[in-house]
Amino acid sequence: MTDIMKINVGPQHPSTHGVLRLITELDGEKIISIKPEIGYLHRGLEKLAESKTYLQYLPLVDRVDYLGGFFTSYAFCNAVEHLLNIQTTKRTEYIRTLCMELNRIASHLLWLGTYMLDLGASSPIFYTFRERESILALFEELTGQRMMYNYFTFGGVRFDVDNNWLDKVNDFLNILPKAIGNYEKIITNNAIFIDRTKNKGILTKSFCSKYAITGPNMRASGLEIDFRQKMPYSAYNELGFVVSVNNLSDSYGRYLVRIQEMRTSIDLIKQCIMFLKQNKDNVSCNINPIKLKIPQGEYTSYVESSRGLLCCYIQSDGSEKPYRVKWRTGSFYAVQVLPELVIGQNYNDLIAIFGSLDVILPEVDR
Amino acid sequence: MLLKKLLNKIYYLILGHFTVFKHSFKRAVTVEYPEKKVKLPERFRGKHVWNSNECVGCKICEKVCPVNAIHINKVEDNFEMQIELSKCIFCGNCQYSCLKHAIKMSNDFELAVLNKNDLNLNITSNEKKIEAKND
Ligand code: SF4
Ligand code: SF4
Repeated sequence: MTDIMKINVGPQHPSTHGVLRLITELDGEKIISIKPEIGYLHRGLEKLAESKTYLQYLPLVDRVDYLGGFFTSYAFCNAVEHLLNIQTTKRTEYIRTLCMELNRIASHLLWLGTYMLDLGASSPIFYTFRERESILALFEELTGQRMMYNYFTFGGVRFDVDNNWLDKVNDFLNILPKAIGNYEKIITNNAIFIDRTKNKGILTKSFCSKYAITGPNMRASGLEIDFRQKMPYSAYNELGFVVSVNNLSDSYGRYLVRIQEMRTSIDLIKQCIMFLKQNKDNVSCNINPIKLKIPQGEYTSYVESSRGLLCCYIQSDGSEKPYRVKWRTGSFYAVQVLPELVIGQNYNDLIAIFGSLDVILPEVDR
Repeated sequence: MLLKKLLNKIYYLILGHFTVFKHSFKRAVTVEYPEKKVKLPERFRGKHVWNSNECVGCKICEKVCPVNAIHINKVEDNFEMQIELSKCIFCGNCQYSCLKHAIKMSNDFELAVLNKNDLNLNITSNEKKIEAKND
């Protein structure tokens, strides 16, 4: 028995994917207790909503999860649309689905690169960022910005997509499977990678239900629940896809699920492109967002984001500003389950396990 | 078993290095900023350009701005726009909401200044001023 050592991992630690502080107690190399301290990136996005009109709040929504701005935007717009009782056109929904799926690929690519960096492999991040850059360039062309899009509006999207842009997306989708194949070639069967991820950070089914884990983390534990399929929103009820799932429950399983999800997203986007090329329609509704007053009521919208179930709850008191906005994000729960996964493990596995959960802190703190 | 694992590790070490080596012959994907610049898309949201002749002073842009960065004032028989770029989050709400299309966000993203007050623009007859700056 050695002396217990208490160390702080973070908040300025590059592997904490933002600013998370982990108060860790070590017995030699072994972790005996760990306490995540969150709140360093708290921007008060929920409280802020109460002092802004719906249109003023719309650009801020992208910042809830800055790697998946389209998901949060969709959740907010969808909730507002339900409260207003307006119907969006099919074309709108297909554009939104396309954007969200591209966003999922971008988000998973970033995760893959940084996760490899966490494990000590420094070159994959350049490859994944190269592909991610192509996606961001496409977003920039469509929306005007690379991360904070402000593209979805109430009842529609700001600009229609043209065939030229769709062709560019298609071109990119043609090279992406090969790129993913190249990542897999150096990672999937790599003994060093397997050593660090196989049987590490076992997330059992009971942990998933106890801690409300959703998204790829849950699907890697053998639970086949995907809200795109279970409770289809947007255009997903018309698209066919297979939910990626496996029974490994460890970091390696979570890696496989995410790789598979990128491939699924490519399929989904191709279906969207096919629809968008054939069907022309309006992409906006006849509402004036500037003088928007939402009838009294409440609604919770849900989105399967790249990090799990994302919910946006809006309560309206009939005025121009929301009475209450609440976000439910996947990362928050993934942070809470961390102690269960790492206690008893070696200290050098801490970041390897934490990275595999794909937590980003702005989403945790809001 | 152990030997197999070791051989696998060595194989992947070599493969990894070979992949990196292969990439050194590929065309660079990055651009040497600031000597070279990437071409920005049409819809890019940079610094605002405001056309005082089009503006009717409806102040919608003020209302939709999430951070109160933009103000339209009446001076004599014309309008004046005050914008605090240090506050602005470049969301584009003002541009999208202006019914007269008086505000346009330009491709100018290089906004570094030595004095923070230089970011508070006070634009009266804006066209000439912005053009002069762009030259
Ligand atoms: S919204 Fe347009 S027209 Fe109205 S005050 Fe602003 S710039 Fe002028
Ligand atoms: S771009 Fe957004 S933050 Fe900037 S002045 Fe316009 S509305 Fe305000």
